[in-house]
Amino acid sequence: MGETVDMNRMRLVVGLLATLVLAACGSTGTPGGNSGNSYSGKTIKLGAVYSITGAGGVYGPQSRDGALLAVKQINASGGINGAQIELTVEDDTSDKAISSQKTQSLIQQNQVLALLGPTLSNSAVGAHPLAESLKTPMLATSTTGIHIVPDCNAPSTTPCKYIFRDSLGEQTAIPDNIMSYTNDAHPKTGVLLVAQDDKFSSDGGKIVQDTVGQYNIQLLKTIPFSKNDADLSSYVTQAVGLHPDVIFITSLGGIPAKIMTAARNQNWQGQFLGGNGFNTATVSKQAGAAGKGAPSASAWYIGNTFPSNADFVSAYKAEYSKDPDQFAAQGYTGLKILATSRRCGSSRWMAPAGSSSITRSSPAR
Amino acid sequence: MDQQIVNAIFIGSIYALFAVGYTLVFGILDILNLAHSAVFMLGAALTYSLAINHGQSFWVAAVLGIALSALMGLVIEHVCLRPLRRRHAPPIAALISTIGLALIIVAAVEQGRPGSLTSSLWVDGANSVAFPAGTIPNPIWHVGDLTLEATKVVIIPISIALMLVLGYVMRYTQVGRGLRAVAENPRAARLMGLDVDRMISLTLVISSALGGLAGILFGAALGDISPYIGRDNVEVRGLAVIVLGGMGSITGAVFGGYLLGMIEVLAAVKLGSGVRGGVAFAALFLVLVLRPQGLFGTRLRERI
Repeated sequence: MGETVDMNRMRLVVGLLATLVLAACGSTGTPGGNSGNSYSGKTIKLGAVYSITGAGGVYGPQSRDGALLAVKQINASGGINGAQIELTVEDDTSDKAISSQKTQSLIQQNQVLALLGPTLSNSAVGAHPLAESLKTPMLATSTTGIHIVPDCNAPSTTPCKYIFRDSLGEQTAIPDNIMSYTNDAHPKTGVLLVAQDDKFSSDGGKIVQDTVGQYNIQLLKTIPFSKNDADLSSYVTQAVGLHPDVIFITSLGGIPAKIMTAARNQNWQGQFLGGNGFNTATVSKQAGAAGKGAPSASAWYIGNTFPSNADFVSAYKAEYSKDPDQFAAQGYTGLKILATSRRCGSSRWMAPAGSSSITRSSPAR
Repeated sequence: MDQQIVNAIFIGSIYALFAVGYTLVFGILDILNLAHSAVFMLGAALTYSLAINHGQSFWVAAVLGIALSALMGLVIEHVCLRPLRRRHAPPIAALISTIGLALIIVAAVEQGRPGSLTSSLWVDGANSVAFPAGTIPNPIWHVGDLTLEATKVVIIPISIALMLVLGYVMRYTQVGRGLRAVAENPRAARLMGLDVDRMISLTLVISSALGGLAGILFGAALGDISPYIGRDNVEVRGLAVIVLGGMGSITGAVFGGYLLGMIEVLAAVKLGSGVRGGVAFAALFLVLVLRPQGLFGTRLRERI
């Protein structure tokens, strides 16, 4: 995958995730499933909170584009029982507080029925409990940290009823990636470079620490850093100086690419292992030759020959003149899940007389 | 450890170059120009935009980036400082006005997207971008256990040369004597026939050119150009550097820059990243307590 680099993705396709979430949302699985309630002439307002800019800007735009493609396809085919979907996308600039503000605004001012997002786990910590408290379904299309679904209100263990996801959690992705690489290459030692001030990254670090022992990999050192550190050279020098077989990177945005480049410049020849943060062509492009061969687990694979996936890939290419990535696929799927769900979070969609919009039967706002 | 010392010298050079511009304005005007970090960012952002979005070579883009940064110095003087000086406003007013300008500059760049008002300057919004591989020649040399990257190595001689030139200009030339006269007593300098406003404008132009250059070198070497690189990386550190070295002292700023770079890298290696900033500012605190005028300062006057 990638435009200039072939980051050799593990083809861990977890294609049934969407189906699982559909079940959670009680969908009929087809647009317009509520045949007894015509939505003709109405609008279904949906929202999305994505990181179009900032650290998550390497992921969010693709999710947005995937979701917008799904909207276009659904509306072109007659909508949901005749109702057209209106998707409002907000940029949270990768900021946790802004993400919550945008979520609240979409729910309370725009009166959206359901939302996608946010892009980053760090933002989901604020946005998801808020959507849960406002009893509005929110489907995470790329958040993969610990406690995203179903316990979005952790440490409370009461399951969240309104928060769903179609993304592959790091608790699955990272261990499977380590297992796969260990089976092939039998590494003995590793160093973990982890951005300590970001939920996605620090969760990934914990998962690596909890996993390596199972595969007899000695973790020589955990080197934490801040996601705001522009100069990572001192951390990379420390890692390379320990001569590990593997450098685990749990971070997002452009940071993995910077670490890979710096380590290769210092003549380190070992293997990089990562998580979902690697899974976009943008990161591959930034890493260039330094990122070649770095594996990570992915919820989606462009070469998957399922007809629905092949149709999505060709439609995305036709629309945007480029290949989709995991984040585009999850945005696309997420929107289709929302659009086809008429019963999410114990509320049904209704078309009240005299209103131009579809509402939920049990609004809590 | 040798590689870590190289890392420290490299980042210290950036801090020093940035802080020299900072301290130059303070030395002449007795005010902190807190828009300096925004100029640092602007230098990097404009150079990136000119090279990547407007098809200029990196070298042409860098020269234009420095020139536009210098021009921003004039904007700072004419918008933030001169009007207040005319009204005999206290230094705190100038400090606040430069903070305001810095926020405006960062916000303007942050809003730069295709089709926006500032799209000709920047189109990447709040994103962090880097020069694509090949835009800047970056040969890498391996000397013993050391790795030397050209984009980082070059910062050291550029910084030292510019600081030596600036030191020479300040000490031995007519312009330098004029600037020092303004720093000593603007009223007396005016009575002696010096055009004080022109001298101050010149100070801001030199300072901003140095700030912009520091930003360009930072962006080229570290692959991190965003609206926030000034705020996150050099704004407070630059202040720490000039306090460590002695406020208004160019020699002190140079020394303070390298000292802070060394302290930060050693702290990161020995104590971890969590204390990196804390140790640096603990050193700052110690200097303030034990030697308030800084390591190279010779006097302490009331300043804001």
